[in-house]
Amino acid sequence: MALKDVMDTEERDAYMLTNEAVVRAALEADVKVVSFYPGSPQTEILDTFEKVLPHMDDLRMEIATNEKVALETVAGASMVGMRSLTSMKSVGTNVASDALYSLAYTGVKGGCLCLIADDPHCHSSQSEQDGRWFGYTSYLPMLEPSTPQEMADMVRYAFDLSEEFGTIVLIRTTTRVNHQSSIVRLGPLNRTPFEEISWKENRRPYITVGEAARQAKAVLMDKIERMKRELEGSDLNRIVLFDGSELREIEGNEEGPSIGLISAGPCYLYSIESLMKLGTPMKVMKLGVINPIPERLVGEFIKDLDRVIIVEELFPYIEGFVKGIAKDVNPDIEIIGKGSGHFSEALEYNVPIVTRAIAGVTGLDLPFDHEAHLEKAGELASILPARLPLFCAGCPHRATLWSLQRAIRDKENLFLANDIGCYSMACLEPMSWSDSLICMGASMGIGAGAQYAAKEKVVALMGDSTLFHAGLPGIANAVHNNDDITLVILDNAVTAMTGQQSHPANPKGAGGFDARKIDIEGVLKGLGVEKIVNISSYDAIANIRKVKEAIDHDGPAVIISHQECALYHFRNYRHRGGKIVPFRVDKEKCEKAYNCIRDFMCPAISIDEVDGKAQIDPEICVGCGVCARLCGYKAIGSTAVDMGGEDRPYIEVDDYMELAKGGGSQTEKEEGVQKEVSE
Amino acid sequence: MKDPFNMITCGVGGQGVVRMSNVIGEACARTGLNVLSGELHGLSQRSGSVVIHQRIGKRAISPLVPYGEADVILALEPMEALRYIHFLRPGGTVITNTALTHPPGETSELARKEIDGYVSYDEVVQNIREMGDLIEIDALDLAIEAGNALVVNTVMVGAMTALPDFPVEAEEVRKAIEVSVPKGAVDANLKGFDLGIKAVNE
Repeated sequence: MALKDVMDTEERDAYMLTNEAVVRAALEADVKVVSFYPGSPQTEILDTFEKVLPHMDDLRMEIATNEKVALETVAGASMVGMRSLTSMKSVGTNVASDALYSLAYTGVKGGCLCLIADDPHCHSSQSEQDGRWFGYTSYLPMLEPSTPQEMADMVRYAFDLSEEFGTIVLIRTTTRVNHQSSIVRLGPLNRTPFEEISWKENRRPYITVGEAARQAKAVLMDKIERMKRELEGSDLNRIVLFDGSELREIEGNEEGPSIGLISAGPCYLYSIESLMKLGTPMKVMKLGVINPIPERLVGEFIKDLDRVIIVEELFPYIEGFVKGIAKDVNPDIEIIGKGSGHFSEALEYNVPIVTRAIAGVTGLDLPFDHEAHLEKAGELASILPARLPLFCAGCPHRATLWSLQRAIRDKENLFLANDIGCYSMACLEPMSWSDSLICMGASMGIGAGAQYAAKEKVVALMGDSTLFHAGLPGIANAVHNNDDITLVILDNAVTAMTGQQSHPANPKGAGGFDARKIDIEGVLKGLGVEKIVNISSYDAIANIRKVKEAIDHDGPAVIISHQECALYHFRNYRHRGGKIVPFRVDKEKCEKAYNCIRDFMCPAISIDEVDGKAQIDPEICVGCGVCARLCGYKAIGSTAVDMGGEDRPYIEVDDYMELAKGGGSQTEKEEGVQKEVSE
Repeated sequence: MKDPFNMITCGVGGQGVVRMSNVIGEACARTGLNVLSGELHGLSQRSGSVVIHQRIGKRAISPLVPYGEADVILALEPMEALRYIHFLRPGGTVITNTALTHPPGETSELARKEIDGYVSYDEVVQNIREMGDLIEIDALDLAIEAGNALVVNTVMVGAMTALPDFPVEAEEVRKAIEVSVPKGAVDANLKGFDLGIKAVNE
C-alpha cells in the first residue's frame, strides 16, 4: 500500500488501487468522519483510512459493528454539517438499506458519500446482487466510475453534489473497478482543522414518519428531478466516436455510423478494447451517472441509430431505460443486450465475451479463436491439482472444527448452520460440511427454524465479528424461545477473513488506538444464556468432551472457542520479538497413518516423496502444535527441544523469551528480523 | 514498444505477488508510462492461487489481459504458471520459479491414495513449453545468494526486466524497489533484482 501516495502534498502521478484513490480524493475533499465495516472488494478503503488515521488529527474514523451503523454514523456527522464517507460491499448494503431509504427522505447537510461495491461472479460474496437498484429505488443519485482516476474525480465531485442538493450520493462499483490499479493524478491536499460545529445554531429536524414522511417524499421526488436536469449536462456522461482506429469527439455535423453502444463501469473499458480489436466504427455513450439516467441525452443518442448495443453486467438495468426511451424517440431501433440473448445476466464480463458479442452483431470475424486456444490450454492445465483457499497454518478454526467433528462422530446426526467468515470454509476440504450458509448472522435464525423441523440436533457456527454484526438478535431470539441450538462462537479477536480488522471484542479500534473490549461471555450471560462452555481452540483432544457436553445440553448452549487468528497473533508475536518455533516429524516414528493430513490439512504438512512420510515445512509452520496432539504415534514434536526447551508449543512472547534465554542462538533471532523486514 | 505489453503475474498466497506488481506499477508511474492492473484481493492470504493482470502502454484500456494475449507470464510457482497458461499469447514467454508448492488438497489426495504421486516439475514445464518459451529461474537459490531467502519475488521481477520487450528500464525498476520495500531490506532486494537480470542474460 502506497501510504506516501495517499498522503503526499505534491501534485503528481501515482500508481494506485481504486480503493486507495477513494481515500486520496476524500482527503482532498476534506472529509472529516468515516466509518466502515470490512468486506471484499472494498476493504482496502477501510484499511487505507486506518493507515492514514495516526498521521491525521483532522479525521475521525470508526470500524463500525455493521454497515447500517456505519451509514448512520456518517449520516449523523453530515446532519451536523461535516463531510463524511462510508463504503460497503453489495450485500452489506442490504443491512444498511433500512437507514438508507429513510436518509433519502430526510436528506443530509455535510457532503455524505456511500460507496456500494458489487461483486459479479461472486468472487467473495454470496450473491451477484446488482446494487444499482438501490439508487433507483431510493431516489438517490448514483455514479459509476470505470477507472481509479474516474473514481478520484467522482469522489471529489460527489461531495459538492451532495451538499448542493442536501442528499447522500451513492457511488457504485464492481470488483474489477475496486481492484484495479492505475495512474492517478494527485490533486491539492489542503486539510482544514477538525472543529466541532454548534448544533443549536444549525438545528433542523431529520425526521421521517407519517405526514413528515409524505412531505419528504414530495421534496425527494422534486430533488431527483432537479438533479436529473443538472446531471444531464454533466461531463460524467460522454458521447464519443470510435472511428475504426481511435476514440474521438464527434465533430459538429458529422453523421457517423448508424450503430451505437451504451455502457458504464468496467464494461465500458471492455467495450472500447473490443471495438479496437474489431476495428469497427461505432458511436459510444459512456454513462457515469446511473441514477437518474440522463433520459434526454440517451434519447438524442439513440434517435438516429438503427441499432444500439447495451453492455452491462448483471441486470438489464440500463437496457430497461433505453427500451422505455426508445418507445418515444425511435421505436424501430434494434436493441441488442440481454433481452435479445446476446449477453448473459450471470457472471462478470471480459474483453473476449464483449468482442464475441459485438462481432456477432456486426458480422465481423473474430480476431482470435479463443475457443480453440482455451481448449488446448485447458487440456494442458488439467494435470494440475486445484488450489483452493483453506485455513492458514495455525488457524484456530481448523482445530475447533476438528474437535466438533470428533464430538458428534457422525455428521449425519446434525444440522450444521454455518455463517460468514473464514470458518465458512468448513464447507471445503477437509471437513466438506455445512448444511446452510446464508448471510451474516443467519446461522442462529436458520437454526431456530431447523430445530423445530428437523429430527436432528442443530449446531450453529458464528465468528466473533459476525456475532456483533448481526448475530446478537438471533441469540436473544433463541434464549427467549428456549430453542434447542448449540452455538459455537469462534472467537479469534479480529474480523479475520477481510484482513484482521478490529471489532468490539478487540481492545484496539480503528488505526490501532485503544478501544473498549467487550467481553463476549459477559454479553451472552447478559442475554441469559445458561450453558456456556469456554474452550481453548488448540486443545483439540480435550475439547472433544467439552463440545459434546454442550451439544448434549437441552436448549440454547454456547461454546466459545478462544484463540487469536493465527495471522494476527503471530504477526504481533513477531513484532514483539517472538520467533516462530516450528514443529517437525520424527521420521523414525511416522507410520504413514497421515492423521495429520487427511483430517487436518494444514498447509505446512506434505508427504516426503522419498520415504512417503509426513513432513513439516518450517517456513509455513507457526508451531501451534495441534497436529502433534492428533498423531497416534507421537511422531510430531517441537524443535524447541533443540534450544533446550520442552516438547510443546511456544506461541506466547514471554514463553519464547524464556526459551531464547535458555539457549536460543543469535542467528535465529536475526532470521526473525529478516522475516519481518521482507513482509 | 509493444503496446500494450501484457503481463500475468501469479503465485501462491503469501509469496509476494501483489508486491511484485506494485513495484512494476510504481516504476511505470515514475517513467510516465500508462499502466493498468487487475487483481483480486480477499482470499489471497489463505494459500490460494493469486493472479494479477498488468498492462503497460497507451493502448492499455481494460484491466484484464484477454485470453491468449499475455506477452509474459511471471510465476512464483510453476503450477500457477500452467494454471493461467490460457492467458499466454502463442509464442509468449513464461518465466517461472522452479520450486513447486504442492497444495494441501493434493497432499490429502495422496494420503488417501487417490493419486499415485505429486505432479512433477517436469510434467508441469513440459506442458508449459507446449504453449510458449520457458525461462526457468531457481529464485530461492539466487535470493539466498542475495542475502535473504525472502526476496524471491524481486529476483523474479529482475528476470522479467531482462526481457528485450519489457517496456521499463531496469534503472527505473531499481528505483521503484528502493521506495517500495522496507528500508532494512533494500540491499538484499536490489542484489536479488540484479541476480534475476543476470540469470536471464546468461
